[in-house]
Amino acid sequence: MATKSIRAEYIKGLWDENPVFRQLLGLCPTLAVTGTVITGIAMGLATAFVLILSSLVVASIKKLIPAQVRIASYIVVIASFVTIADQVLKAYFYPISEALGPYVPLIVVNCIILGRQEAFSSKNSVGRSFIDALGMSSGFILALLVLSSIREILGAGTFLGYEIMGSWFKPWIIMILPAGAFITLGILLGIALFIERKTKRSE
Amino acid sequence: MSLSARMILVLTLVGLISGGFLAGVAKLTKERIALNVQAEIEEAIDEVVDDAEVDMLVYEEEDFVIYKELDDEGRLAGLAIQATGVGFQDKITLMFGLDASLEEITGLTIIDQSETPGLGAKIEDWEDFLQFWENRDARGLLTLRKPPVKTIGELLPTEINTITAATISSKKVLEIVNLSLERLKELIKQEKISVDVEEEDGN
Repeated sequence: MATKSIRAEYIKGLWDENPVFRQLLGLCPTLAVTGTVITGIAMGLATAFVLILSSLVVASIKKLIPAQVRIASYIVVIASFVTIADQVLKAYFYPISEALGPYVPLIVVNCIILGRQEAFSSKNSVGRSFIDALGMSSGFILALLVLSSIREILGAGTFLGYEIMGSWFKPWIIMILPAGAFITLGILLGIALFIERKTKRSE
Repeated sequence: MSLSARMILVLTLVGLISGGFLAGVAKLTKERIALNVQAEIEEAIDEVVDDAEVDMLVYEEEDFVIYKELDDEGRLAGLAIQATGVGFQDKITLMFGLDASLEEITGLTIIDQSETPGLGAKIEDWEDFLQFWENRDARGLLTLRKPPVKTIGELLPTEINTITAATISSKKVLEIVNLSLERLKELIKQEKISVDVEEEDGN
């Protein structure tokens, strides 16, 4: 693992090991808060904040923690950063915090975060863990951005709240309902798999 | 040190350090969060009661709060009533205003709702729903107009327009308001609140 270049460590999160499209992790927030681009981005950034800081802390204290209590310790660390993110959003970005509702506290149980601690930060140096977390966060934000853009444009005719489809367009309400999230994610996963197979065959 | 002792020590330390951080963050953000909640309520009051300069909390229950509104000369401008009730999906919290005679609803705004996006969530929209709440007769009970009409002029003073394809959400809002009006009348009858402005002009 240590043979990977820093660049490759970052890039893998964007596509090869993209948390949403390739690992199918963190799907609950991915489906729940991507009705609009702004909530999608906010959720991505909040998750990135928690993931990056938790990875830094876990990578720094990994040798001090006995293996038997590592998961419990990681969860306490993760939950602390989630609570900080939640409080800061409530204090400084109140409307976004209202829109995200219970999904900010639920970052605690986002598998991407605990998954990266267990699979990566607990075995690698602080620097590498930071790059890995940065890559995974970017991949997650990217996935949320793609999903929420499709859903907001088709479901409301807007992008970031700005009207872009013109008055002829009749919004597809299903796209901002939960069913639209599943349909969009299913199609995107299909496309991701298709591209993966194509590139593998050509190699 | 035995393994058990180390496990206990590490988990305790992780917990204590996290707890300390969280206490600090809570202290830093508490005031701002309270201000945000306060600002949201004040904004809602300004939307539903005209010339409300001074807000006085006169009655408070978990799902029913009454503010007495005074104008800049200390005269009664009306009441603002915040009520929470069951919606189609989840609880709806709303605020509506009554004029100084308590015979007319001056307006309504939604503070919190989780109705179906694109359908029931239109109870927040001015065009689709809220505009039909201006100057409604509050002496008796309000009823729903179905099928809906285009302009408020076509409604009777005791009628509220229905949102197309979201009859239940419209009806739930109406029920919350009707129930609140009854509770208000009961409170005035039992003299638990006084709306006579002369008694409290010291405020």
